[in-house]
Amino acid sequence: MSDTAIEFGRRIPRIARLSIAAPPSLIRWTLRATTVVLFVGATAFGVSLGMSGPDSAPTSVVHHHTAASDQ
Amino acid sequence: MRSPRLTATILLVLVWLGAALAVFQSFVTAGLPIQIGVALVAHVTGMAAGYGAAIMLILMSRAPWLEYGVGAHRLARWHAWGGPTVIILTVVHALAAVLASAYAGSIDLMAAAKDVVGIPGLTSALAATVLLILVGIASLRVVRQRLSYEWWHFVHLLTYLAVALGFAHQLAGPDLAGRRWLQVAWSLLYTYAFALVLRWRLLQPLFQLWRHRLRVEQVWQESADVISVLMSGHHLDELRAEPGQFFRWRFLTGKTWRSAYPFSLSAPPAGDRLRITVKARGDGTRRIFTIPVGTLVFAEGPYGALTRRRRRRPRVLLIAGGVGITPMRALFEVIDLPGEDVTLVYRASREQDLVLKHELDEISERSGARVVYLVGPSTDTANDMSAHALNRIVGNLSDHDVYLCASPRLAARVRGSLMDRGFPRHQLHEERFSF
Repeated sequence: MSDTAIEFGRRIPRIARLSIAAPPSLIRWTLRATTVVLFVGATAFGVSLGMSGPDSAPTSVVHHHTAASDQ
Repeated sequence: MRSPRLTATILLVLVWLGAALAVFQSFVTAGLPIQIGVALVAHVTGMAAGYGAAIMLILMSRAPWLEYGVGAHRLARWHAWGGPTVIILTVVHALAAVLASAYAGSIDLMAAAKDVVGIPGLTSALAATVLLILVGIASLRVVRQRLSYEWWHFVHLLTYLAVALGFAHQLAGPDLAGRRWLQVAWSLLYTYAFALVLRWRLLQPLFQLWRHRLRVEQVWQESADVISVLMSGHHLDELRAEPGQFFRWRFLTGKTWRSAYPFSLSAPPAGDRLRITVKARGDGTRRIFTIPVGTLVFAEGPYGALTRRRRRRPRVLLIAGGVGITPMRALFEVIDLPGEDVTLVYRASREQDLVLKHELDEISERSGARVVYLVGPSTDTANDMSAHALNRIVGNLSDHDVYLCASPRLAARVRGSLMDRGFPRHQLHEERFSF
């Protein structure tokens, strides 16, 4: 099983070559771009979730409580 | 560089301010006059739990500004306090909501519980609560000691699912429903929390695996239950790892890939090589002993602020207990002070437990730094680790920055003694590991 894991790592030399050959500045900017894209996506998703949130709660125990107390 | 203590204080103020706003919103919903009762408890605890869950995700996201700025051990301490608090708040919220419903509808508790669970979106919230309780139980000391690390880790991962399941209920809750901008702010809190986790706990290590191709190069025995693992890769300088820091290592073999263990570097990074030293503590760490050369390594890090950059005083005292020697060994080699101003105190129960001793002696000989070995039973006065005894070893203790890494018990004893003696807290630097 362990040997399989090692082989798995050795079977992707093309990707490995690309990752190793890329200059540090390209790597840095790729990471920064990834972070920006991720957080832009998170912002868009968050705003969309919030904007499409329910207009009213199915129930409110506070309101029930108040109503019960009022009666 | 801002001190971790200051960063932590600023962050804590912001977190508590957010908590106060979340709770305040519950009172706004309740309206005037405020009626103190189970209903209000349900709302306050619900908002606090929802807010706390997102904060816990952020604190454990491993974002570098948190890990370096605040310190991993402080984050772990906050998490150890905050995690159970969120679970308790969630359970109290659920119970109070049922009680309030029973009171409002003048029905018995069973009928009220049925009513509450029947509310749209509450099924997923109930599942979230059950999962959180499960995580809480698994984290109890008595249960934790009986669970393997792998199982505990798996159960702990369910927290993410629980937080996601609970989210829909929060947005539809009476404190947020219909308040569009609050719903947007709440959603952003959650999407940012998950984005941080995704960025730093998943993408970063995957990227590092792809870029650095870290592999086990050599494994050798240091003592009966301690091994060292030398790993090599590409462009490791880009990691900017420093002596004293640690990674969470996942060795990609069939038997070990599921577990990530925090181990400090036991030597300064040298070229494209990193070394760790591991003590067998259970089946999981024991499996690392048989890792074949060539195994790929998935490394998260570097983490921790226990570096030489923390030094402010003209002299340094490094204190290590047992396998806590690993970060101290790495620091011992690189502290940028004349040898006579550096002392390493290394405590072990038996002579054979003094791992890396030959390296320490070699560094000491080369740099002139002093190593003091305290070996034998702790009841022996010669092995005293009190502030008084340490002061006797190094001279003027207050002139020193103290770096500490030892078992929780020994670390607590040394810390307590130093604090009792009035040793300045900001001169004590330590890293505490706990799963």
